[in-house]
Amino acid sequence: MAETILVVDDDLDILELLKMNLEPEGYKVQTASDGDSAVQSACTDPPDLILLDVMMPHKNGFQVVEELKDIEETKNVPIILVTARGQTEDKVRGLDTGADDYITKPFDLREVTARVEAVLGRTRPIKYINPLMRAMGDGFSEKGLEQLAGHLQAAAAIQKKLLPEQAPNIDGFDIATLLQSSTSVSGDFYDFIPLSETQIGIVLGDVKGSGIPAALLMVMIRTALRLLCHEEEAPASILKRINDLVVQDTEADLFATMIYGILDTTDSTFTYSNGGHCYPFHWTQDRNITRLKTGGMLIGAFKEATFTTDFCLMAPGDIIAFYTDGITETGIGDNTNSEGNQSIATSPESDDSNEDAILTDIFYGGDRLAACLSENTSLSASALCEAIVEDLARFSGSTQTHDDRALIVIKRDV
Amino acid sequence: MNFETTIETGNISTLHVEGKILGNATDTFRKEMELQLQTGRDKLVVDLTNVSLIDSSALGAIVTTLKYCQQSGGKLVLLKPQKAVQEVLEVTQLATVIEIYDTEEAARAAFS
Repeated sequence: MAETILVVDDDLDILELLKMNLEPEGYKVQTASDGDSAVQSACTDPPDLILLDVMMPHKNGFQVVEELKDIEETKNVPIILVTARGQTEDKVRGLDTGADDYITKPFDLREVTARVEAVLGRTRPIKYINPLMRAMGDGFSEKGLEQLAGHLQAAAAIQKKLLPEQAPNIDGFDIATLLQSSTSVSGDFYDFIPLSETQIGIVLGDVKGSGIPAALLMVMIRTALRLLCHEEEAPASILKRINDLVVQDTEADLFATMIYGILDTTDSTFTYSNGGHCYPFHWTQDRNITRLKTGGMLIGAFKEATFTTDFCLMAPGDIIAFYTDGITETGIGDNTNSEGNQSIATSPESDDSNEDAILTDIFYGGDRLAACLSENTSLSASALCEAIVEDLARFSGSTQTHDDRALIVIKRDV
Repeated sequence: MNFETTIETGNISTLHVEGKILGNATDTFRKEMELQLQTGRDKLVVDLTNVSLIDSSALGAIVTTLKYCQQSGGKLVLLKPQKAVQEVLEVTQLATVIEIYDTEEAARAAFS
């Protein structure tokens, strides 16, 4: 049976044009020239899709969307809004109200057909599932929700178990960690892996994406790392192998950034590679702070990624700090500011502090983190972590976090 | 953030973005690129000439779209990232896998 499209526009020429264009594509087309008759028509005979003009007298397109979303018969009918060119606010408002797509005027007729087909292709399966869910009653969805919540809790518990409860005790070094999660399952992670009497593997990472898929990727990376770090020596080769594994096995929207390094207590070297993660800081006794920039691309996105290994020497009193972008992208007034409140911090890292100055208005940023570190180098590693958390709260005016934050501080005893 | 998408000859979509792509705006940015792909337009130019700053989720949106494009045989290229944005591309070394152009003509020519 032909799918029905309800076209709504106060311009009769446009109605006619769209009808002439859509009918040859095999759709049955109904028309309405104002908001009220559109709602009435949609209720009496719910169409498979509505093509709705925003700018109409009396009742505009947004009002029509709101009404239709409140009516049982029409709330699941997909809607494509037709907006004037360049009205970004309209597009965003339309998508927020519940429209499925938009087309800008003046439009290309081929684009209209393509968007109609794309939206129908997406919503067709839902149309067949919905009546089934309704037939099974509310109990189904409640139980479904309960199950989902249960699974999330289980995932969070597994994840928590995988994170080391405390930083390891290493002779001659003071190590501390911090992890603040914004949701029950965290995207940030760290791990310490003893490699020999004198060597320990240290990793800090941030899985992009969210929810259970991201948690699964974190578990996969952690497991791969635990196995590979005994086979390979160079951190760059390990990151390359993890990258290739993840590229092969995951969807396009999942990837991670991470730093992996080996701390060797015999010569106090830290040998590391970096997969697209924020540059770690190295504070030296001459009161200099530098960013460790060697590395490679983010992990799990591209099979052609390459990585490089480098090392640095930790003199007595030196500090190395790794952090995730949840720290540097902490925003001012973190829970009210709609721009920049949610995430993170890949603030562009730069040695030129003027460049970072543009960012300090919005984000905590790498420079302020470097300054906070430099001012508190006499503290123990764990007190230094606390000092950073306090400075973040001072900056944002809030103790809440909207993204996961993780931090590792390694300090060589004087 | 503000944006406008234009469709050009050869079915190339150009997203002209303005302002900062941060926080909630990254969702809109991501959705717009998804819409292009869903309507079969997997030749994308993201015009960053007037973008002063992006955060890591905006970067994530670009990576995700780039990967989908690669899988479908399409392509995503960037046009004129400004210094702050260029630095983010360098930290993550995305600059090595994504094509970056200085002029619209060069960006469009990348698809021919």
